[in-house]
Amino acid sequence: MQRTATIPPMAEEARATHAHHVHEANDARELAGSHILCEALIREGVQLLYGYPGGTIMPFYDALTSYPTLNHVLVRHEQAAAHAADGYARATGKVGVCVATSGPGATNLVTGLATAYMDSTPIVAITGQVGRPLIGRDAFQETDILGVTQPITKHNFLVQRVEDLAEIVHEAFRLARSGRPGPVLIDIPKDVQFAKTLYPTPVSSIEHHRVTRIPQPSAAAIEKAASLIGEATRPLIMAGHGVILANAYPELQAFAEKTGIPVITTLLGLSAIPDTHPLAIGMPGMHGPAHVNRSIGKADLIIGVGLRFDDRVTGKVSEFAPHARFIHIDIDASEMHKVKRAAVPIVSDAKAALAALTAAVEKGDQRAWLDEIRSWEARDNERIARIARNEEYPDHICILEAIREASGGEAIIVTDVGQHQMWTARHYTWTRPNSHITSGGLGTMGFSLPAAMGVKMGMPDATVWVVAGDGGIQMNIQELATIKQQGITIKVAIMNNGYLGMVRQWQHFFHNHNYSETPITGPDYVKLADAYGLTGMQITRREDVQAAVRKAMEIDGTVILDFIIESETNVYPMVAPGSSITSMIEETAGESEE
Amino acid sequence: MTEQVDNRNPAIAERAGQSDAPMGSGRSHILVILANNQPGMVDRVVGVLRRRRAQAQTISISQSELPNVSRITAVVNDSEVGIEQLVEQLRKIVDVRQVVNHSTEQSVARELALVKVNAAAEARGEVIEVGNLFGAHVVDLAQETLTLEVTGNEEKIEKFVALLQRFGVREIARTGSVAMIRDM
Repeated sequence: MQRTATIPPMAEEARATHAHHVHEANDARELAGSHILCEALIREGVQLLYGYPGGTIMPFYDALTSYPTLNHVLVRHEQAAAHAADGYARATGKVGVCVATSGPGATNLVTGLATAYMDSTPIVAITGQVGRPLIGRDAFQETDILGVTQPITKHNFLVQRVEDLAEIVHEAFRLARSGRPGPVLIDIPKDVQFAKTLYPTPVSSIEHHRVTRIPQPSAAAIEKAASLIGEATRPLIMAGHGVILANAYPELQAFAEKTGIPVITTLLGLSAIPDTHPLAIGMPGMHGPAHVNRSIGKADLIIGVGLRFDDRVTGKVSEFAPHARFIHIDIDASEMHKVKRAAVPIVSDAKAALAALTAAVEKGDQRAWLDEIRSWEARDNERIARIARNEEYPDHICILEAIREASGGEAIIVTDVGQHQMWTARHYTWTRPNSHITSGGLGTMGFSLPAAMGVKMGMPDATVWVVAGDGGIQMNIQELATIKQQGITIKVAIMNNGYLGMVRQWQHFFHNHNYSETPITGPDYVKLADAYGLTGMQITRREDVQAAVRKAMEIDGTVILDFIIESETNVYPMVAPGSSITSMIEETAGESEE
Repeated sequence: MTEQVDNRNPAIAERAGQSDAPMGSGRSHILVILANNQPGMVDRVVGVLRRRRAQAQTISISQSELPNVSRITAVVNDSEVGIEQLVEQLRKIVDVRQVVNHSTEQSVARELALVKVNAAAEARGEVIEVGNLFGAHVVDLAQETLTLEVTGNEEKIEKFVALLQRFGVREIARTGSVAMIRDM
């Protein structure tokens, strides 16, 4: 085979996973596939699974009771199992696991898998499948889930022989967490779960795929990048999810501090550097503050780290950072030049690349540039401060401030999708690393509540707040029963404006105020919480916000706070889709009164 | 455990603005893909072509020189995204071991065609004569028809078929291109 690249030294992580495949044949015993699956999951360090039993996965559920270290959480809908596994993975960096039966169980996972795929989070989904003799005969609850999930998984497997099962499980975990992480699905026919073979399987029978290596930056690329950084007078760092996935917080901070370059954090990069850091300037894109987008418009160099220049970040691509050259660091080679041509493409783990760059650059000073950006920010803030806020209702700012104050800035915030998501991203002060969990790429409403279950179970010592809209919270509201049954403690803040607010906002700006199907009602959340055996409160006045949030923190168990906010407040600033990010719709005194 | 060469190219050639390229502005590329012959592998390869909006003109799949490794030759018209973006996307498929973009200068590309032509007794000699000029073989002869086998590049095959049209072409089966890099 022709080699097109030199092989970088194998990373420690890859070495460690190799150890999993070294099996001792002499202690092998005969086990059913269902038990082998449990054994293999334990070998991968799995302690938590989210799932829902059904016909074709029943042998696995039967075996599960023999493995008390596998803590299974019964969700109320398989979509929630996938989101919970995703939340667990995002919060802990470990692989999340979800389980479903064939047919509708498997198809219910689809939205969760697509969410994880878009945001590069490692989950392994295990689905039952009809028995091998029935496959392809349109059997009861048969769905070609391999075909269905092919475009939304990193890889998927149909286990055709029980002898392959253990190896496939290990391969799936390795794939899920290696390189750019992502979801992997394993489809296991019911008769394979019943079939017996020796475990540990003595001979590895499946074809092994590419050995994973964490790509390291090339010396030539680092040298070229360092020289561009040395020449730049208006440089910016844009930090994305890759920084968090690579656990590269100290490296990002060290690089920024040595070069003095201001740091922008994307939606999924929020909390990669504390918002309180003097070099942190905020979030870019459609709802980023004006000074951030303006700085991108003026920049002469963009150092993108672990981000993919999503269209919500760039706006109109041809007018995005028109004066800048790009250094693009990403672990996925296919991201290079996808949106913007990179002068220096660096296919690498963010941690390794940032460390190498920090060593290679001269100490820099960008104070003049930073001061300019800060002056824009100050001017914007002054203008916004002059706009009268409606003091009667609770609003997003006082809710977020109260949450931050009551949790000492140490909470992990899980948001849903819509206005509240953008407000939270924008107005919460992110200081705890990896404290912002949201569905960024897919924008999945209904993500927050089930994802928060995974976050809390992965990080049991952390305070976990859900911030959701009154639309999204109703999409997976059934998980309140799971929360109650498991005794999970989550604090839920609903920003309730009686609208699908973000869609309404688009209708306001782009569809002549035609509020088609956006007014939405909901249940009485206080009664609803009570019906699920939880605590609920409704807050209708600004002055009660802080006390309610504090009380929610004091109460044991899950609390739902239903904040009735002003119904037609918009998220500002806003860049119209397809427009340049430097042309923003900003709030004015007149508009805030609408 | 079989170790395989990681074939990602860390420094991809520079190219610009491909996402602004209008649909249909691409040109044909021959991609040769070596992939583990796992169930669903072909789906994955074809799926990436579809999702990344590359139009496949021909795809040929067969065994390679390695056991359980298939060789896929895809002639694609790359429109929306750059060809190198497509190559990197293909390389991300777990079953894919190697992707090489064969530029026409460096590689030799051939396809095979079977053409069934009307060839009653009076026209038969003339059909065979056209066939001979193209190095085609007669693979079947019936009362009314003659089936010819021809190999060559796409242009040659199209010319051959065009010349046979006046006799009445009943059926054409083409393999699509396969390609190999010329040794220097």
